[in-house]
Amino acid sequence: MSSATQIRAEETVLTPPSRWHGLLRRHATMPAILAVVLLGTYLWVNATDLDDIEQRALKTSELLRAVGEHVTLTALTTVLVVAIAGGGGILLTRPSMRWLAPFATGLANIGQATPAIGLLVLLSIYLGIGFSTTLICLVAYSVLPVLQNTIVGINQVDRHLIEAGRGIGMSPLAVLLRIELPLAVPVILAGVRTALVLAVGVATLATFISAGGLGSLIVTGIKLQRETVLVTGAVLTATLALTLDWLGGVISDLLRPRGLD
Amino acid sequence: MSRDVMIDLQQVSKFYRGQKAPVVENMSMTIQQGEIIVLVGPSGCGKTTTMKMINRLIEPSSGRILIDGTDVTALDGNDLRRQIGYVIQQVGLFPHMSVATNVGLVPRMLGWDRKRIEARADELLHLVGLEPAIYRNRLPRQLSGGQQQRVGVARALAADPPVMLMDEPFGATDPMTRDRLQNEFLRLQEQLRKTIVFVTHDFDEAIKMGTRIAVLGDRSKIRQFDTPENLLANPADSTVAQFIGRGARLKQLDLRRVDAITWEDVPLIAPDKATNGAKRQLEQAEGSSALTVDADNRPLRWVNAHDLTTDAGALAGAGQTVTTVEPQATLRDALDAMLASRDGAAVVVDEHGRYAGTVTLDGLMQVIHHTPEPEEPGAGVPDQRAGAAPAAELTPEQR
Repeated sequence: MSSATQIRAEETVLTPPSRWHGLLRRHATMPAILAVVLLGTYLWVNATDLDDIEQRALKTSELLRAVGEHVTLTALTTVLVVAIAGGGGILLTRPSMRWLAPFATGLANIGQATPAIGLLVLLSIYLGIGFSTTLICLVAYSVLPVLQNTIVGINQVDRHLIEAGRGIGMSPLAVLLRIELPLAVPVILAGVRTALVLAVGVATLATFISAGGLGSLIVTGIKLQRETVLVTGAVLTATLALTLDWLGGVISDLLRPRGLD
Repeated sequence: MSRDVMIDLQQVSKFYRGQKAPVVENMSMTIQQGEIIVLVGPSGCGKTTTMKMINRLIEPSSGRILIDGTDVTALDGNDLRRQIGYVIQQVGLFPHMSVATNVGLVPRMLGWDRKRIEARADELLHLVGLEPAIYRNRLPRQLSGGQQQRVGVARALAADPPVMLMDEPFGATDPMTRDRLQNEFLRLQEQLRKTIVFVTHDFDEAIKMGTRIAVLGDRSKIRQFDTPENLLANPADSTVAQFIGRGARLKQLDLRRVDAITWEDVPLIAPDKATNGAKRQLEQAEGSSALTVDADNRPLRWVNAHDLTTDAGALAGAGQTVTTVEPQATLRDALDAMLASRDGAAVVVDEHGRYAGTVTLDGLMQVIHHTPEPEEPGAGVPDQRAGAAPAAELTPEQR
């Protein structure tokens, strides 16, 4: 089947531009903006005369504790959500379980549609206040985007690819691992990013059931009318959300299968 | 069972729950080693279902399917499919894997070592006409549609399976690419001698590709299972005739080659012969033309007595141009050459371009009329399509 003309025409081998170069170009802006905002906030707080309350609330150790709690909550939420919603999404796209998918997304929709503060309070009535209740609330709140994107991501994989895979003798598990999941990764990760940002925001409510986090700074700032505390809490929350979103973007770029546009 | 039987379908049926009528009903078919069997029929007739039951992508509800004497329903489906090549219309190359990885998937599942997989992938790419050094690391989207389907064929051949299933493999390509892929595949098949089940709804493709063609009706009922020649000459019933469409005789021309019909001889005029001698020769062979040839016996021009009288000078410029065909050409090519020549004759030449004989419209007509007449289908039913069209009526879709 050799056709010389064709080969000659195609001889210029396509070399894709370096992955790192594109990565840098696409993802360099956000860290720069965040650094400027953080630095500006720091200088502003530094230049302000802080009273006792402010000094206590803005101590470095205090800030680190709040950020640490917030990150821990968010990270655990992410792990649990990916496990529950990712795993669930995979199960719900198997032919035998497909019929269950609308019910599952309906259920997840309830979790997200309920106002977060209401969900938190309701859960704390039954489960008591504290860390684990907050975690459950956050998970319930962030399951939907990941679940939905996993289902959509897997279902959008060309059915003919799955047929071709089965046709050449791949087992259903091999088709899932080697074809469906790799090709669904961009969509699934988009869902995870959304869930992360949601979780960071909702985790500020943790302070209402004494689970700490950056919400405590914001609440202190509002209650005691200390603008510096309020602004610091808000800026740190926003920065955390944007950083995680940025990180998600980088990871999703790295994991994006080649060969897709 | 004969040793040469490769695939044997015995009373195979497929029912789906909740559907009254089976999709495939009591289908039986015996396929010899090395044949290309084309399943052809209207959409929804169950031809693809029938094919997919052979590699058990669809499990038969009843009946037995033997491949090389082994009942496939007793085997593990995944193992079975690794031993059967599978090509689909949408190609189904995995977009995130390189061409070489795609081709090497089945060997990898069979546990070959990496060196052997790479060597095999290169060998196959070469076989389907894609230079391995250029193409092995490409991604599918960097290939044209025709190239992708070549890779699809290479992938199906990877583990050298004795049986291949092809579901409209060339259906998604443009007519020119399709024609080229078909020819390349036929050439490949001459070397490989695989047993192939080929599904299409395009009857012309069926005629071209098939060793034998099964025309299927509803529920995969075999209406006729025969060689392309017999199918065209003797359609079993009106449905088959309708499916063959108009111009069955013209299609027959595609199946026969110039070397299968009788050639006629015409007088040759050698270059050194004087004009006068040539003229005398022509007058002896009354009313016909002669062919001038060069020193190597290659045909030059058609001349008749009149040409020689008007042009008293050189023999060279006289007469009409000659159209030639090779013995391997189809009769359709020969007809084309005849129509292009004013004398209604085409000169047959050997591979060196030397005169071997001539074929004429009369000779062609005799061949066509020697093949049994297709029966007038659906007699009494006013059905314009089914009537056999006169050979001269060349409608656009047959061209």
